[in-house]
Amino acid sequence: MMDHKASVPAQTEGMEQGPPQVLEISDSAPPQVLGVSDSAPPHVVGVSRCDSAPLLWRDQDLKAVRGRGLVGALLGALPRTPRQNGRLGRPLLLLPEEERLLTELHATANANQGGGGVQLSLQVKQHLEEQERSLEEQRVLALQDRKSALLHAMTSSHTGSLGPSEALRGRLEALHRSFTFPRGAMAVQLSTARAGLHHCHEDRAFLRAQQPITAQHDSKAAARYQVFRDLRGQGFYLTSAGKFGGDFLVYPGDPLRFHAHFIAVVLSLDSSLSPLDVLAIARLGSNVKKTVLLCSPGGVQYPGGAGGVQYTSLQWSGMV
Amino acid sequence: MADQNKTDTDSKFYNEVLSPSELFAARSRSHKIPVRGQKDFFPDDSDEQRQRLEQSLNEHWSLISEERVEKLGNLVKATWIPSENIVELQSPAGKFWQTMGFSAGGKQFLFPEEALYLMECGNVQVFYQELPLSIQDGYETFLYSSTLRLQEYQVFGHLKRLGYLVHRFHPSSETSSYAKQLNLPQSRDRAGKQLKRKRSASPIATSSHTEAQEESTADRMEEDTCGQEGQEDKKLPESHLTISPETSSTQTATASPGNKGGVRTWWMLDDVGERSDHQPASAASRWDFSSISFPDLGSSRERLSSCLVSPDPSLLPGALAVGVCDVDPWRTRINLRDVKMSSKEQMREEEKRRHRSDKDREVRRCSNWAEYRQLMERRQGRRSKGRATHLWDGEVTPLHDPRQPIPTGELLDKISVIKSTHLLEGASRLQASDEWRISFNVYQPDTVADFKKSNPGKPYTRMCVCRCFGDPQYRRLPSTERGMVTRRRLCLLGSKRRLANHLCRRRICSNPSGTTSFDGPVPDLRAIKQLAFQSGDVPVVFAVVDYGDISFYTFKDFQLPTDVFP
Repeated sequence: MMDHKASVPAQTEGMEQGPPQVLEISDSAPPQVLGVSDSAPPHVVGVSRCDSAPLLWRDQDLKAVRGRGLVGALLGALPRTPRQNGRLGRPLLLLPEEERLLTELHATANANQGGGGVQLSLQVKQHLEEQERSLEEQRVLALQDRKSALLHAMTSSHTGSLGPSEALRGRLEALHRSFTFPRGAMAVQLSTARAGLHHCHEDRAFLRAQQPITAQHDSKAAARYQVFRDLRGQGFYLTSAGKFGGDFLVYPGDPLRFHAHFIAVVLSLDSSLSPLDVLAIARLGSNVKKTVLLCSPGGVQYPGGAGGVQYTSLQWSGMV
Repeated sequence: MADQNKTDTDSKFYNEVLSPSELFAARSRSHKIPVRGQKDFFPDDSDEQRQRLEQSLNEHWSLISEERVEKLGNLVKATWIPSENIVELQSPAGKFWQTMGFSAGGKQFLFPEEALYLMECGNVQVFYQELPLSIQDGYETFLYSSTLRLQEYQVFGHLKRLGYLVHRFHPSSETSSYAKQLNLPQSRDRAGKQLKRKRSASPIATSSHTEAQEESTADRMEEDTCGQEGQEDKKLPESHLTISPETSSTQTATASPGNKGGVRTWWMLDDVGERSDHQPASAASRWDFSSISFPDLGSSRERLSSCLVSPDPSLLPGALAVGVCDVDPWRTRINLRDVKMSSKEQMREEEKRRHRSDKDREVRRCSNWAEYRQLMERRQGRRSKGRATHLWDGEVTPLHDPRQPIPTGELLDKISVIKSTHLLEGASRLQASDEWRISFNVYQPDTVADFKKSNPGKPYTRMCVCRCFGDPQYRRLPSTERGMVTRRRLCLLGSKRRLANHLCRRRICSNPSGTTSFDGPVPDLRAIKQLAFQSGDVPVVFAVVDYGDISFYTFKDFQLPTDVFP
C-alpha cells in the first residue's frame, strides 16, 4: 500500500474570489497505482451523502472520476427522456471501493453541507432578481427570434421589387409593439446539483477537512478493496457484479465500449470453498461467456512491498 | 477528455447554472437518445477504437450533463413541509394527479418519493423557504433511512419509469389478521371495483343471469350507495330478483330447525353473508352442523315440552338475552301430518327397521357410551382376526387397514407421514417484525386509464425492498446483537441451514458502508410467511438493489404433484 496519507493537501485556491467552489490540491502525489494518473486532473470530488450512500452530483466530478477509470452506477432519471430505464442520469453512486480509493488519493470532500442558514432573505431576493432578469433576457431573445423568423419569411416569399423594406419595417414595428412574452413561457432550470454553495462561505472551510469516511473496515471489505485496487492499477475497469454472483465485473476498457471479460470473486487465501459453489460460479461464468477469477489478496509480494493478489481462473472443462 | 477538463474546470468548475440564453436555446433541443453501437471485444490501441470510444464518451457526457429546462407554465409549484415529511402543491396539479398524490383538508399533497420522481421528470418544482430545491436537495432532504430509504426510492423510480403505478403500502388498509381469522367477507369496495371494470368491458353481460348471481348482494348495495345514478334504477329490480329466491330458501331452511325465536334472523343474515363471500365451501367448514343439535319439532312421536329452555348464556354474544322459547306457535306453522305410505312402502320400511334393530341388537344393549365403545373395539378386533391383529394391539398401529379399499391418491395421502404445509399455514400467529415490511403496492401499467386513487382495487403485486447489511438501521445494533439476529435466523431456516450459514457468513463480514442489499439477509421463512399473510392474495415481490442494478424475486407456494393412476 502506498503512503498517500503523508501528503496533506498543501493549499487551497480561490477561497475569496469568484465562483470559489474549486478545491485544487496542488500536488497530491500522483498515484502510481492508477494507470491514468498522469492525465487525471488533480481535483477534489465532492461526495455528498444521501441515506449514507456516497453520491456524486456535479458533471465535472463525474468526468473526473471516470477519468480515473472509476465507473460507479448512475441512479437518477435522464433529463432528456426521464421515463425509461435504459439510460440513466445523475446522481452517480460510488462503490465503497471506489470511494475508498478516492479518499486515499485525497480526492474526495464531503459536500453535504449547503443551502440554508445563510441570510435566507438575501438568497430569496437574489433568486427572484435572477428570475426577473432571466425573464427580461428571454423576452428579448424571443422577440429577436420572432423578428428573424418574420424577416426570413418576408424575404423569401416577397421577391417583388416593390420596396419590401417599408412593408417589412412596418411589420417589424408592429411586432415589436404587440409582442408579449408571458411569464409561463419563460424557461427555467431545474438544477440537478445544488447551486446553493454560492452563498455559503463557511462551507468552504468544511470542504477542506479530509474525513475518513468509514472508520472501520472488516476483513472482507479489506480484501475486496485490495483486489479492486490491484485490478484498477492494471488498467481494468470494474463494476459491481451482483447480477453475476460475483464481487466485480472486470472490463478490459471503458464499459461504454467493451464487454466484461471476467467475473471476479474475492476470497481470502485461507478460506475454504465448497465444490458446490465452485460448480455454480463456473457454470454461470461459462453461460455468460466470462471467465471466473478467484482473487485472493496477500499471496504474492511485489518488489515494492505492496501486497499482490493471487488470481485463479476457473474453466468449465467438459471431458468426453 | 482530461485536457478538456483542465481547460474549462478553471473557469466554471462547479457552475452548472444555465444563462438565460442557454435556457432559451434549450427549448428546442432534441429528445432523442443516441443509439449505442456494438461493443468491441478487446482494446487494441487502434485509432479507430479510440475514436469510437471518444465519440461514445462525448455522447455520454452530453446526455449526463444536460440540465432540465422547463417552461414555467408547465411546472407545478409545490413546497416541502419537513415537519410532515410531505410536499404540498401550490398550483393546480397536472396529469399526474390521476395516479399520484392525495388530498387532505382541501389541500393537495405528494409523498416525498412522488415529488422527487416528478421533479426528475420535470413536472414539479419544489420550493423550500422560498427557494427552489435542486434534484440533489430533493434526494438529500426527502430520502432518509427512517422514512424512505434511497433503495426504496430507487425501486420506486425504476417501476415508475417502467410505467407501473406505485403507491405506498399502508398495513392498516389491509384486513387485519383478526378479521382474516374471523373469515369476514372481503372488503366490498374492492370486489365492487372489479365488477365495474367488468361491466365497462362488456355492458351486455350484466343482464345475463349467471353473472347476476355471482354478484354479491352486498357489493351491489355498496355500489348503490356510492351513487351510480344512471345504473341504479336498472340494477335495483335485478338485485331483488336474485335476492328473493335466496332469502326464501333460507327462510324455509331455517324455519323448520331453527326455532329459537330471535336467533332465526341471525342465521338468515349469516347465510346471506356467506353467499356474498362467494365461498360457501370455506364458510360452511366453520360450522359443523352435524355437531350442532337442533330440537326436532316435527317429531310427533316424542313430544317435546312446549317450551325450550333458554340457551347457555356463555354461548351468546355480549348483551343479548334470550328467554325461554314457546314452541307451540311454531308448531302450528309446520306440517305435522304423518307421512302416508302405501302398504308396499310400509313393508319396506318395516323390513329396514327390523334389519337395523337386528344388526344393532348388541348396540341396543349398551347402556352408555363406554360400553358402546368397548363393543365397537371388540367388533374391530374380531374383524381383523387373522390379519396380523397384533399390529393393531399396541398404541402404534399401521396407517391403513389393507381390507379397506380406497383410491390410490387417498391412500398416498393417508400414508404420508410428513404432510406438506402451505405458505400461509400458521402465518396468522406471527408477529410483524420491523426488519421486513412491504413498501409499495404496484399496479400494472394498463390499468392507468381507469385507475382511481380513492378506489385503487387489488394491486398486481406488493413490493418489499430488501434491507442491506450496511443499512444504518441495521448498523445501529451492537455487533453482538447482530450475531444474535443471524443465529435466530439460522434456527428458523432449519433445512436451509447450509445456505443460511453461508449467507450469514457473507453478511457478517461484508462492508458496513456498503449500500448493496446483495450483502443483506435473505428473508427467512418467518418473514416470508408473515409478509405473505399481510399481503393476502396478492403476491409479495422482493426487490434487491445492487448499486445500480435492481433484481426482483418472489417466493411461491409449490405443491409437489402426485402422479396417481386411477
